[in-house]
Amino acid sequence: MLFNSYEFIFLFLPITFFIYFYLNQKHLTELAKGFLVLASLYFYSFFSIINLPLMLISMVFNYTLGKELSKYIQKKRKYSKKMLLVFGVITNLMLLGYFKYTDFLIFNFNRLLDTNMPLLHIALPLAISFYTFQQIAYLVDSYRGETKEYDFLNYAVFVTFFPQLIAGPIVHHSEMMPQFAKMKNKVKNYYNIALGLFIFGMGLFKKVVIADTFAVWSNMGFDAKDALSMTEGWISSLSGTFQIYFDFSGYTDMAIGIALLFNIKIPINFFSPYKAISIQDFWRRWHITLSRFLKDYLYIPLGGNRKGEIRTYLNLFTTFLLGGIWHGAGWPFVLWGILHGGALVIHRFWQKLGFRMNKFLAWFITFNFINITWVFFNAGLNGGNFSAAKKVLKGMFTGEIVIPDSLKELMLGTGKWLNLYQGESYIFIWIIMAFFLVLFFPNSMEWRKKFKLNFFYMICTVLFFLAIFILYRKSEFIYFNF
Amino acid sequence: MNAKKYLKILFSIFTLVVFIAIGYVVYFTKHYPLPITSRISFDAKLKFVREYIDVDKIDTIIVGSSIGLNNIQGTYLESVSTKINGVVNLSVYEATTLEAEQLLELRTAFPNLKRMIYSAQYSDMPHPYTYEDYHPKILAKYMAHELNFFSWLKVVFDASKNIPFLINRQREWKEKHTYNNLFTYLGFDISGSVPLHIYGKDIIQHRWKNPQPNIEHPKSFEALDRMAKIAQKEGLYFYFAHQPYRKPLYEKYVRVSEAIKYVDQRSDKIFAPYSKAKLIRLQQLNMSDEYFADRTHLNDKGSIITAKAIAKFIDNNEK
Repeated sequence: MLFNSYEFIFLFLPITFFIYFYLNQKHLTELAKGFLVLASLYFYSFFSIINLPLMLISMVFNYTLGKELSKYIQKKRKYSKKMLLVFGVITNLMLLGYFKYTDFLIFNFNRLLDTNMPLLHIALPLAISFYTFQQIAYLVDSYRGETKEYDFLNYAVFVTFFPQLIAGPIVHHSEMMPQFAKMKNKVKNYYNIALGLFIFGMGLFKKVVIADTFAVWSNMGFDAKDALSMTEGWISSLSGTFQIYFDFSGYTDMAIGIALLFNIKIPINFFSPYKAISIQDFWRRWHITLSRFLKDYLYIPLGGNRKGEIRTYLNLFTTFLLGGIWHGAGWPFVLWGILHGGALVIHRFWQKLGFRMNKFLAWFITFNFINITWVFFNAGLNGGNFSAAKKVLKGMFTGEIVIPDSLKELMLGTGKWLNLYQGESYIFIWIIMAFFLVLFFPNSMEWRKKFKLNFFYMICTVLFFLAIFILYRKSEFIYFNF
Repeated sequence: MNAKKYLKILFSIFTLVVFIAIGYVVYFTKHYPLPITSRISFDAKLKFVREYIDVDKIDTIIVGSSIGLNNIQGTYLESVSTKINGVVNLSVYEATTLEAEQLLELRTAFPNLKRMIYSAQYSDMPHPYTYEDYHPKILAKYMAHELNFFSWLKVVFDASKNIPFLINRQREWKEKHTYNNLFTYLGFDISGSVPLHIYGKDIIQHRWKNPQPNIEHPKSFEALDRMAKIAQKEGLYFYFAHQPYRKPLYEKYVRVSEAIKYVDQRSDKIFAPYSKAKLIRLQQLNMSDEYFADRTHLNDKGSIITAKAIAKFIDNNEK
């Protein structure tokens, strides 16, 4: 069941909302929590019931291990606390690795050694990357003694809470579990409902109206059989760049909005990433909860910046390489990770040297770097081979320069204008508008702060919700692939 | 404003908007074809059959592309023939042979069916395209008013999800589909055929002068074979009305005459094992340019001539 579907908006969400608060109103708070877990499991099963047992096993395993870690007393045990943690983390990573990377490894093994080992064609269980990361963080924090006494029901709500279950944000137990425990949050809060609907509507609009429109043009370019002209190359890459942003941030807004209906505040995941003026700035604004996870549970344990300059560069690079691989099993994702890791190393070195750059130029370089690297990311999504990326990049930088018919008399040029896009010149208006939105418009979190109970926000909410009248394209969210 | 009042007003507006949308869909359903399929002429045909055709009275269906819609006037077929009592033309613009085969799957809507006519030209055969996401059983029941309320509601709901598309279709309907001097005309006669009134300056010169390439996909002939086989199996007559080409083009361009002869020969071979399948060679009518709207589409005068010829052929065949 997608957030952008009628069954979710008109059935699942209102029914879950009303039953949850009805049970709380009757002081059946534990039952309400249990109901929320069941509703979340039903929500998950709607996508893939086959993978439900896997998620449940993972949840029970990590909860048990986490409890063991937090109550650990050395004297009574044969194994050390660290061993227990390593066992837990490795089991989680092996589970993720088996489902996500086995075929990729076999494929490359066959290519490298010219063998013919059959692929296993393992389907990736939905949300596995997200719930595995959340639970690894829980284990590490249990090891560090940073977790409190939580019962299984609380833990189950933290892992399965349906707004963030499928594609994040990657939430931390310390920011979620206390919220579920708070009595104040068990009572309907009309302000939160109004705000939640506003944020959800904004996300719905971003996904259905903007992202899905750019998806068509992006796919046209990446799937095209023929070479692309320069204009077509740039339209494809920019469409892909805007699609990814509006798709994922739209999803996050919807998740934040839904959670608010239940009085739960999910952490922000985006903060105008395309306004970034450096690659470091970009990663502070893009998929913030993933960056936070990578920093806290990978970069810092690797030594962070505490072990000398060279080691810092290496840690930074390794973190982003692994971040790239986390996104998917394919060489384009690996290259994407390498490019971002490399760019962060260069940026850090540049800062070290004390160089400065004009803000506009810095934005221009950053945006173009991101746009170009998204081409590889998109190729990863489109089957994982480089040929699509090569075709788009070739079009962008060496493609034929084609002039519109109306300007041909004034300028030199040949060929058909926007052949691939059947002359739909309003693509440019969309691209300009998208630039305007991402560069000059407040982001959804800024809107959240500004939100007031007045007619302006009411009308905006209604306008956003008009997107329900174009829900004919049942398109999944990009990050469901991870 | 307090939050409770804010939400009350917000939900009132939501409710109003939803009711306006439902009202618009009801209005649209009454006046325009709902986008149930991917083709407007198909949607228009579903609406037409549902509203005007008594499915029990139909014993003959015509399928095909625009060559099926424009080149036979079902009303004349019905009035001239002694064998045919009720005709409905189910043809859809741009239908390939494989899509025409899919259209024949709608025959379940007509319980007293006796014969099926596929009206086509070689130019319908170059591509093996088929309708995707096609549910003939549901469509047949929809046409015949046999869907239960919830199934009907699902069809209508799925078709009306995209309100901007409905608004756009409403806007385009008048300018594109209501003038009989356009090839996009969708004004059906009482059998569902579309007689074209394209003469003089309305004739599109490049379509008049230039013949189509001689390309026929092997899958088109396989589809023809399957259509004949199904008809035979179900005890129905199957007629392939091979429509005429403009005589000057037929005589001037070898590729046209070769294509028509090739399709005739292949069809003869395909139909040989089936006693119920017959080829009707309409090129032999030697129709003059007076009856053509372009190289292969007939005007309203021409489609009467072919209807009469087909009726005569059927009467002789079914003696």
